[in-house]
Amino acid sequence: MGKLILRNLLRNKMRTLLTLSSVSLALFLFTLGSAFLAAIESTEGTAANRVVVRHRVSLTFSLPEAYAQRLATLDHVTAVTPLQWFGGTYIDQKPENFFPRFGSDPDTLFDVFSDYQITPEVLDAWRADRSGFIAGRILAEKYGWEVGDRITVKGDIFPLDLDLVFSGIFEQPDAESQEKQLFFHRRYMEEAMGNPGIIGTYWLNLDAAENVPAVTRAAEEMFANSAAPVRAETEEAFALSFLEMLGNVRLLLGAIGLAIIISILFITANTMAMAARDRTREVAVLRTLGFQRGQVTSLVLFESLLVGVLGAVLGAGLGALLVSGFAKAMESVFPVFGTMQASPQILSIALAVGLAIGLLSGVVPAFAASGRSIVDGLRRVG
Amino acid sequence: MKIPLKYNIRSLFVRKGTTFMTMFSIAFVVLVFIGVFSLGVGLEKAFRASGDPDTLIVLRDGARSETESAQGMDVFRDIATLPGIEIDAEGKPLASGEVIILQIFERDDGSESNVVVRGVGDAAREVRPQWSIVEGRDFEPGKGEIVVGRRLVGRFTGFEIGQSVTLGRMDFRIVGIFEAGEGSAESEVWGAIADIGDSFRRSNYVSSIRLRTTSAASAATLTETIEGDQRWRIAVKSEMQYYEEQSAANTQQFKILGLLLAVLMGFGACFAAANTMYAQIANRGREIGTLRALGFKRGSILTAFLLEAAFLGFFGGLVGVLLSLPLNGLKAGTTNFLTFSEITFELALTPPVLAGGVLLAVITGIVGGLPAAWAASRRQITGLLRET
Repeated sequence: MGKLILRNLLRNKMRTLLTLSSVSLALFLFTLGSAFLAAIESTEGTAANRVVVRHRVSLTFSLPEAYAQRLATLDHVTAVTPLQWFGGTYIDQKPENFFPRFGSDPDTLFDVFSDYQITPEVLDAWRADRSGFIAGRILAEKYGWEVGDRITVKGDIFPLDLDLVFSGIFEQPDAESQEKQLFFHRRYMEEAMGNPGIIGTYWLNLDAAENVPAVTRAAEEMFANSAAPVRAETEEAFALSFLEMLGNVRLLLGAIGLAIIISILFITANTMAMAARDRTREVAVLRTLGFQRGQVTSLVLFESLLVGVLGAVLGAGLGALLVSGFAKAMESVFPVFGTMQASPQILSIALAVGLAIGLLSGVVPAFAASGRSIVDGLRRVG
Repeated sequence: MKIPLKYNIRSLFVRKGTTFMTMFSIAFVVLVFIGVFSLGVGLEKAFRASGDPDTLIVLRDGARSETESAQGMDVFRDIATLPGIEIDAEGKPLASGEVIILQIFERDDGSESNVVVRGVGDAAREVRPQWSIVEGRDFEPGKGEIVVGRRLVGRFTGFEIGQSVTLGRMDFRIVGIFEAGEGSAESEVWGAIADIGDSFRRSNYVSSIRLRTTSAASAATLTETIEGDQRWRIAVKSEMQYYEEQSAANTQQFKILGLLLAVLMGFGACFAAANTMYAQIANRGREIGTLRALGFKRGSILTAFLLEAAFLGFFGGLVGVLLSLPLNGLKAGTTNFLTFSEITFELALTPPVLAGGVLLAVITGIVGGLPAAWAASRRQITGLLRET
């Protein structure tokens, strides 16, 4: 039986090759697409016990500096640190040179982001240098920064340019995307602008994740009637709010992915049907030789399954191999591409889709082949 | 001698099932292509409609968008008196200082986005010739009234005439809906500059200034005067250039994505077309032999099969276009990442996009059919006729 399936597949090499190619192409696209969606939906590196506090109206409104002390008085809050988005331009405005730059407080930053790793020497050096900055390991490697290097970030939101000196790196081994950030002294930009007291977000570290609802409620109530009311939410919800901004464009892209899979299903089913039809007479001969209906069904079914699985292995394998190169190439178009990864989960789904394509496209021709009467089959020409 | 076209079309119908399936495979590729491109084109259209070459937009130097820009009220007053700015019937210059504020609003589907709340004076409408109220009436300053852009209605919760919305510290009543020639302003909320500034505690400054100039020459001198003034760190762009930059930053990714998907999927569809054509030819060996014996040349056979493949692609393309038609005018919303705010637009199935889809389908058919057609034309008559 096995040999018969193999021989059948090899009989029309061109057709098998073409079908295999279309299946693997589909699953290659599927792998890349899923990796992309996973990248934009990624909340890696977020901690369940971290809370973000921002102005209720939107991120373009800032909070007073005095809020730090008041937030620290809330029950279950173990640390508070401010972060101010700087934006700006480093080198040029190309998307590949875009990365987050935050004004921060070196004394409390690592109390809240306790999952970041930094050596005491680097931290001390950074704290001591008002114009110093630290960068995630990946970012520092990308630009080849050495300790003592000077960089300039041109301001856009804020009317000042930052002249910064590299103090060293920090690491977050569990979340690569976190290692693409830059932190500098918030005081440095405050002083350059005449101390306007601009803080976009406060980040709180809680003693336990289960206290998040109580703390967010308390924080929102605390400033409800003040000049700057706040919204408090988990770090994950904060990250997802950026994704929400993409709107239904995300849904449309998902629908397009589905259309791709359906179209390939058509292609494969079409070819399998052709392959089976060509062999009507042959099947009849097999039946006269004593092959049972069930055997004939499984013969055709296994053949299409084999094509589906083989195509999936090829396509997903290629996707897994090429995803990082693709990510690098596309990073200049859309920075989020840079964090694309083909996770084992995506690869196993791709394999399952291949299996399903094989099964679905084989089922109709398989039963058609075995269901036809022997006499009918033998009489058929062409 | 040429083989008649009718022959090709008829032979496509002989194997209905296969032809149908291949057509659908190609149709889906076309659908995907049109889907992604109409997204990009729709977005581009919304930006392009916003820009006017005779209107200048004044921003703080270094700011890439109105959201990032801010200048003192005194700067606005000084700039408004410069020569070269058009003067209206009442003798006032067409210079509009506007405050841009972002506020989070909830979309109909429960997700959230930043919406531009624009505080404007009287001149704001005059510097935008295509601006008009389509429903209700314009707001009156000092009465807690606002008007909302046409595109926000039905996409965001509570944006309807008569509804009340909280902007900053105060409640405002929606009294009208406006349009702005399909431009991005249609995704904004407008109120009086004093009211909005007061409610958000952002008074005594403007985010951007729009100037309507008398001519292209005066626009150039005006730009030079303003940018050359040492007192200000200011950049001047034509409104058209400003929106083109935003468009480039936001639509490029969709076009690249669309092209990439179309090319990759096009390959897949080529395989399908190739399969179909190979099967056609394998099953018609005797027929081809007969044609040859009748005196049709190898070239005619090649052309005939290529035409057949092209038809296959063409019909597939038409089906794809038909399938994509419901997408036209579909409302989509996303964030303009330069202004960090919502931009709502409609998918645009423009003739070039549709034609591009059909062209893609025909090319797919031809490329897929070429190897089979070539093989068919190369075979020996005797061998072909001997086939059963």
